[in-house]
Amino acid sequence: MQSIKTILRIIVLVTLGLYFHYILPQHDIVKVTSTEIIRTDFSAFNRIFYAQADSGATEQPTRDLRLINTQKQDTFLLGFVPRDSNSVMVYRNEDTGWIYPPYFKFDSADLQAEAANLARGDEWVVVTHYGWRIRWASVYPNAVGVRTVSGPDVTIIPWFNIFFFIFLMAAILFVRAAWRQFRQRSVDPILDAAGDQIDEVQASVAERRGRIRRWLDTWRSKK
Amino acid sequence: MGFVKLVVFGFIGLTVIYWSIALFSRSVRKERLENEFDAQHPDGGAPGARDAFIAEGLKAYDGSIRPKLIGLVYVVPTLVVAAIAYTINTN
Repeated sequence: MQSIKTILRIIVLVTLGLYFHYILPQHDIVKVTSTEIIRTDFSAFNRIFYAQADSGATEQPTRDLRLINTQKQDTFLLGFVPRDSNSVMVYRNEDTGWIYPPYFKFDSADLQAEAANLARGDEWVVVTHYGWRIRWASVYPNAVGVRTVSGPDVTIIPWFNIFFFIFLMAAILFVRAAWRQFRQRSVDPILDAAGDQIDEVQASVAERRGRIRRWLDTWRSKK
Repeated sequence: MGFVKLVVFGFIGLTVIYWSIALFSRSVRKERLENEFDAQHPDGGAPGARDAFIAEGLKAYDGSIRPKLIGLVYVVPTLVVAAIAYTINTN
Protein backbone atom coordinates (compact mmCIF):
# COMPACT_ATOMS: atom_id res chain seq x y z
CA MET A 1 0.00 0.00 0.00
CA GLN A 2 2.75 2.40 0.98
CA SER A 3 4.77 1.64 -2.14
CA ILE A 4 1.72 2.13 -4.40
CA LYS A 5 1.20 5.51 -2.75
CA THR A 6 4.84 6.43 -3.33
CA ILE A 7 4.65 5.38 -6.99
CA LEU A 8 1.47 7.40 -7.53
CA ARG A 9 3.07 10.40 -5.88
CA ILE A 10 6.16 10.10 -8.09
CA ILE A 11 3.98 9.82 -11.22
CA VAL A 12 2.05 12.97 -10.24
CA LEU A 13 5.26 14.89 -9.48
CA VAL A 14 6.94 13.84 -12.73
CA THR A 15 3.83 14.75 -14.75
CA LEU A 16 3.67 18.16 -13.10
CA GLY A 17 7.40 18.69 -13.65
CA LEU A 18 7.11 17.79 -17.35
CA TYR A 19 4.06 20.03 -17.69
CA PHE A 20 5.86 23.01 -16.18
CA HIS A 21 8.93 22.28 -18.27
CA TYR A 22 6.73 22.36 -21.35
CA ILE A 23 4.65 25.40 -20.50
CA LEU A 24 7.02 27.82 -18.70
CA PRO A 25 9.24 30.19 -20.68
CA GLN A 26 12.84 29.17 -21.35
CA HIS A 27 15.68 31.10 -22.91
CA ASP A 28 18.03 29.87 -25.64
CA ILE A 29 21.03 31.75 -26.96
CA VAL A 30 21.04 31.43 -30.74
CA LYS A 31 21.97 32.95 -34.07
CA VAL A 32 18.99 33.23 -36.38
CA THR A 33 19.95 31.72 -39.73
CA SER A 34 16.69 31.92 -41.69
CA THR A 35 12.93 32.01 -41.48
CA GLU A 36 10.45 29.99 -43.48
CA ILE A 37 6.85 29.02 -43.79
CA ILE A 38 5.71 25.45 -44.34
CA ARG A 39 2.25 24.05 -44.88
CA THR A 40 1.31 21.83 -41.94
CA ASP A 41 -1.18 18.96 -41.77
CA PHE A 42 -1.58 18.11 -38.12
CA SER A 43 -2.06 14.56 -36.97
CA ALA A 44 -4.34 13.60 -34.09
CA PHE A 45 -1.24 13.07 -31.97
CA ASN A 46 0.82 16.18 -32.62
CA ARG A 47 -2.15 18.57 -32.77
CA ILE A 48 -1.99 19.18 -28.99
CA PHE A 49 1.57 20.47 -29.37
CA TYR A 50 0.40 23.32 -31.59
CA ALA A 51 -1.55 26.47 -30.79
CA GLN A 52 -4.32 27.69 -33.06
CA ALA A 53 -4.48 29.78 -36.23
CA ASP A 54 -3.58 33.47 -36.02
CA SER A 55 -5.86 35.00 -33.42
CA GLY A 56 -7.96 36.99 -35.90
CA ALA A 57 -8.29 34.10 -38.36
CA THR A 58 -10.41 30.96 -38.43
CA GLU A 59 -9.25 27.46 -37.68
CA GLN A 60 -8.77 25.03 -40.60
CA PRO A 61 -7.44 21.47 -40.62
CA THR A 62 -4.44 22.64 -42.63
CA ARG A 63 -2.55 25.89 -42.41
CA ASP A 64 0.81 27.55 -42.88
CA LEU A 65 3.26 27.51 -40.02
CA ARG A 66 5.95 30.11 -39.45
CA LEU A 67 9.34 28.62 -38.56
CA ILE A 68 12.55 30.25 -37.33
CA ASN A 69 15.73 28.31 -38.08
CA THR A 70 18.63 28.94 -35.73
CA GLN A 71 22.02 27.78 -34.64
CA LYS A 72 21.85 27.25 -30.90
CA GLN A 73 24.45 27.38 -28.17
CA ASP A 74 24.25 24.04 -26.33
CA THR A 75 23.65 23.90 -22.60
CA PHE A 76 23.33 21.42 -19.78
CA LEU A 77 20.74 21.38 -16.99
CA LEU A 78 17.84 23.35 -18.49
CA GLY A 79 20.13 26.02 -19.84
CA PHE A 80 21.92 26.81 -16.59
CA VAL A 81 25.30 25.38 -17.60
CA PRO A 82 26.69 26.59 -20.94
CA ARG A 83 28.66 24.34 -23.29
CA ASP A 84 31.13 25.09 -26.03
CA SER A 85 29.26 23.32 -28.81
CA ASN A 86 26.55 24.34 -31.27
CA SER A 87 23.55 22.58 -32.69
CA VAL A 88 20.58 23.60 -34.78
CA MET A 89 17.16 24.42 -33.36
CA VAL A 90 13.94 25.17 -35.18
CA TYR A 91 11.19 27.18 -33.52
CA ARG A 92 7.62 27.55 -34.63
CA ASN A 93 6.12 30.99 -34.35
CA GLU A 94 2.40 30.86 -33.62
CA ASP A 95 -0.13 33.11 -31.91
CA THR A 96 -1.17 31.63 -28.58
CA GLY A 97 -4.37 33.71 -28.48
CA TRP A 98 -6.34 34.60 -25.40
CA ILE A 99 -6.71 31.27 -23.64
CA TYR A 100 -3.96 28.70 -23.57
CA PRO A 101 -1.09 28.70 -23.00
CA PRO A 102 -1.53 32.13 -21.40
CA TYR A 103 1.21 34.02 -23.23
CA PHE A 104 -1.31 36.34 -24.96
CA LYS A 105 0.86 36.40 -28.03
CA PHE A 106 -0.72 37.98 -31.10
CA ASP A 107 2.36 39.32 -32.84
CA SER A 108 3.77 36.27 -34.60
CA ALA A 109 3.92 38.17 -37.91
CA ASP A 110 5.97 40.95 -36.23
CA LEU A 111 8.20 38.37 -34.57
CA GLN A 112 8.75 36.71 -37.93
CA ALA A 113 9.80 40.08 -39.38
CA GLU A 114 12.19 40.62 -36.47
CA ALA A 115 13.66 37.16 -36.98
CA ALA A 116 14.04 37.77 -40.71
CA ASN A 117 15.85 40.99 -39.91
CA LEU A 118 18.16 39.18 -37.47
CA ALA A 119 18.87 36.46 -40.03
CA ARG A 120 20.59 39.04 -42.25
CA GLY A 121 23.25 39.73 -39.62
CA ASP A 122 25.42 37.62 -37.39
CA GLU A 123 24.18 38.71 -33.96
CA TRP A 124 23.65 36.62 -30.87
CA VAL A 125 20.02 36.55 -29.80
CA VAL A 126 18.09 35.28 -26.79
CA VAL A 127 14.96 33.44 -27.89
CA THR A 128 12.27 33.16 -25.24
CA HIS A 129 10.18 30.12 -25.98
CA TYR A 130 8.08 27.36 -24.48
CA GLY A 131 7.54 23.82 -25.64
CA TRP A 132 9.70 20.98 -26.86
CA ARG A 133 11.34 19.88 -30.07
CA ILE A 134 10.10 16.33 -30.63
CA ARG A 135 11.60 15.27 -33.94
CA TRP A 136 9.69 12.01 -34.55
CA ALA A 137 6.38 13.81 -33.99
CA SER A 138 7.34 16.99 -35.92
CA VAL A 139 6.83 19.19 -32.88
CA TYR A 140 8.60 22.53 -32.37
CA PRO A 141 8.93 24.87 -29.41
CA ASN A 142 7.00 28.12 -29.86
CA ALA A 143 9.14 31.27 -29.86
CA VAL A 144 7.46 34.15 -28.03
CA GLY A 145 10.17 36.81 -28.15
CA VAL A 146 13.68 37.63 -29.35
CA ARG A 147 16.19 40.14 -28.10
CA THR A 148 19.78 40.74 -29.13
CA VAL A 149 22.60 40.22 -26.64
CA SER A 150 26.30 41.07 -26.66
CA GLY A 151 27.64 37.53 -26.85
CA PRO A 152 26.96 33.84 -26.33
CA ASP A 153 28.05 33.89 -22.68
CA VAL A 154 25.42 36.24 -21.16
CA THR A 155 23.76 35.26 -17.90
CA ILE A 156 19.99 35.06 -18.07
CA ILE A 157 17.95 35.20 -14.87
CA PRO A 158 14.55 33.58 -15.33
CA TRP A 159 12.61 36.20 -13.35
CA PHE A 160 9.21 35.06 -14.49
CA ASN A 161 9.81 31.47 -13.42
CA ILE A 162 11.20 32.59 -10.05
CA PHE A 163 8.08 34.64 -9.32
CA PHE A 164 5.86 31.92 -10.71
CA PHE A 165 7.20 29.28 -8.34
CA ILE A 166 7.08 31.64 -5.34
CA PHE A 167 3.44 32.36 -6.21
CA LEU A 168 2.72 28.66 -6.67
CA MET A 169 4.18 27.91 -3.22
CA ALA A 170 2.04 30.64 -1.63
CA ALA A 171 -1.06 29.32 -3.43
CA ILE A 172 -0.40 25.75 -2.22
CA LEU A 173 0.12 26.94 1.37
CA PHE A 174 -3.11 28.98 1.20
CA VAL A 175 -5.16 26.06 -0.14
CA ARG A 176 -3.75 23.82 2.60
CA ALA A 177 -4.52 26.35 5.35
CA ALA A 178 -8.02 26.99 3.97
CA TRP A 179 -8.74 23.27 3.73
CA ARG A 180 -7.58 22.68 7.30
CA GLN A 181 -9.67 25.58 8.57
CA PHE A 182 -12.71 24.26 6.68
CA ARG A 183 -12.19 20.74 8.07
CA GLN A 184 -11.67 21.94 11.61
CA ARG A 185 -14.53 24.46 11.73
CA SER A 186 -17.18 23.01 9.42
CA VAL A 187 -16.67 19.28 8.77
CA ASP A 188 -15.36 18.00 12.10
CA PRO A 189 -18.28 19.37 14.22
CA ILE A 190 -20.77 17.63 11.89
CA LEU A 191 -18.78 14.40 11.97
CA ASP A 192 -18.49 14.65 15.76
CA ALA A 193 -22.25 15.11 16.11
CA ALA A 194 -22.89 12.18 13.76
CA GLY A 195 -20.36 10.09 15.67
CA ASP A 196 -22.06 10.88 18.97
CA GLN A 197 -25.42 9.84 17.55
CA ILE A 198 -23.98 6.54 16.26
CA ASP A 199 -22.47 5.92 19.68
CA GLU A 200 -25.82 6.51 21.36
CA VAL A 201 -27.67 4.18 18.98
CA GLN A 202 -25.04 1.48 19.44
CA ALA A 203 -25.21 1.85 23.21
CA SER A 204 -29.00 1.50 23.26
CA VAL A 205 -28.85 -1.54 20.93
CA ALA A 206 -26.23 -3.14 23.17
CA GLU A 207 -28.35 -2.40 26.22
CA ARG A 208 -31.47 -3.96 24.67
CA ARG A 209 -29.55 -6.99 23.53
CA GLY A 210 -28.23 -7.34 27.06
CA ARG A 211 -31.77 -7.34 28.43
CA ILE A 212 -32.91 -10.04 25.94
CA ARG A 213 -29.82 -12.09 26.73
CA ARG A 214 -30.55 -11.85 30.45
CA TRP A 215 -34.15 -12.90 29.88
CA LEU A 216 -33.03 -15.87 27.73
CA ASP A 217 -30.55 -16.82 30.36
CA THR A 218 -33.38 -17.24 32.87
CA TRP A 219 -34.60 -20.23 30.77
CA ARG A 220 -31.23 -21.95 30.82
CA SER A 221 -30.62 -24.65 33.31
CA LYS A 222 -28.63 -23.45 36.25
CA LYS A 223 -25.36 -25.25 36.69
CA MET B 1 -14.31 34.43 -29.46
CA GLY B 2 -11.31 33.77 -27.30
CA PHE B 3 -11.47 37.07 -25.46
CA VAL B 4 -15.10 36.59 -24.39
CA LYS B 5 -14.27 33.07 -23.20
CA LEU B 6 -11.33 34.41 -21.19
CA VAL B 7 -13.47 37.11 -19.56
CA VAL B 8 -16.41 34.81 -18.72
CA PHE B 9 -14.43 31.86 -17.40
CA GLY B 10 -11.85 34.11 -15.78
CA PHE B 11 -14.64 35.88 -13.91
CA ILE B 12 -16.17 32.58 -12.77
CA GLY B 13 -12.79 31.26 -11.61
CA LEU B 14 -11.87 34.46 -9.79
CA THR B 15 -15.27 34.53 -8.09
CA VAL B 16 -14.64 31.04 -6.70
CA ILE B 17 -11.22 32.18 -5.43
CA TYR B 18 -12.73 35.39 -4.02
CA TRP B 19 -15.32 33.53 -1.95
CA SER B 20 -12.80 30.94 -0.75
CA ILE B 21 -10.51 33.68 0.53
CA ALA B 22 -13.37 35.74 1.99
CA LEU B 23 -14.85 32.79 3.92
CA PHE B 24 -11.40 31.64 5.05
CA SER B 25 -10.41 35.10 6.28
CA ARG B 26 -13.68 35.56 8.22
CA SER B 27 -13.41 32.09 9.73
CA VAL B 28 -9.86 32.78 10.93
CA ARG B 29 -10.99 36.05 12.48
CA LYS B 30 -13.92 34.33 14.22
CA GLU B 31 -11.65 31.67 15.64
CA ARG B 32 -9.29 34.33 16.94
CA LEU B 33 -12.17 36.20 18.63
CA GLU B 34 -13.34 32.97 20.27
CA ASN B 35 -9.86 32.24 21.58
CA GLU B 36 -9.47 35.82 22.77
CA PHE B 37 -12.71 35.68 24.75
CA ASP B 38 -11.88 32.29 26.23
CA ALA B 39 -8.46 33.56 27.34
CA GLN B 40 -10.01 36.60 29.04
CA HIS B 41 -12.84 34.63 30.68
CA PRO B 42 -11.51 31.27 31.88
CA ASP B 43 -14.78 30.75 33.81
CA GLY B 44 -16.90 31.09 30.62
CA GLY B 45 -18.16 34.64 31.28
CA ALA B 46 -21.75 35.82 31.58
CA PRO B 47 -24.39 33.93 29.53
CA GLY B 48 -24.60 35.42 26.04
CA ALA B 49 -21.48 37.52 26.53
CA ARG B 50 -19.37 35.24 24.30
CA ASP B 51 -21.79 35.44 21.36
CA ALA B 52 -22.11 39.21 21.76
CA PHE B 53 -18.33 39.64 21.86
CA ILE B 54 -17.89 37.56 18.70
CA ALA B 55 -20.74 39.29 16.85
CA GLU B 56 -19.27 42.68 17.71
CA GLY B 57 -15.79 41.63 16.60
CA LEU B 58 -17.07 40.28 13.29
CA LYS B 59 -19.00 43.49 12.69
CA ALA B 60 -15.80 45.46 13.23
CA TYR B 61 -14.04 43.05 10.83
CA ASP B 62 -16.71 43.56 8.14
CA GLY B 63 -16.25 47.32 8.41
CA SER B 64 -12.44 47.17 8.26
CA ILE B 65 -10.21 47.44 5.18
CA ARG B 66 -9.28 43.73 5.19
CA PRO B 67 -12.35 42.21 3.48
CA LYS B 68 -12.23 44.98 0.89
CA LEU B 69 -8.63 44.11 0.05
CA ILE B 70 -9.82 40.65 -1.01
CA GLY B 71 -11.35 42.45 -3.99
CA LEU B 72 -7.78 42.68 -5.31
CA VAL B 73 -8.33 39.06 -6.40
CA TYR B 74 -10.15 40.55 -9.40
CA VAL B 75 -7.77 43.46 -9.97
CA VAL B 76 -4.34 41.81 -9.79
CA PRO B 77 -4.89 39.01 -12.37
CA THR B 78 -6.40 41.55 -14.78
CA LEU B 79 -3.32 43.75 -14.41
CA VAL B 80 -1.02 40.72 -14.78
CA VAL B 81 -2.77 39.64 -17.99
CA ALA B 82 -2.58 43.19 -19.35
CA ALA B 83 1.12 43.41 -18.43
CA ILE B 84 1.95 40.05 -20.04
CA ALA B 85 -0.01 40.89 -23.19
CA TYR B 86 1.74 44.26 -23.42
CA THR B 87 5.30 42.99 -22.89
CA ILE B 88 4.87 40.02 -25.22
CA ASN B 89 3.40 42.04 -28.07
CA THR B 90 5.71 45.07 -28.09
CA ASN B 91 9.01 44.80 -29.86
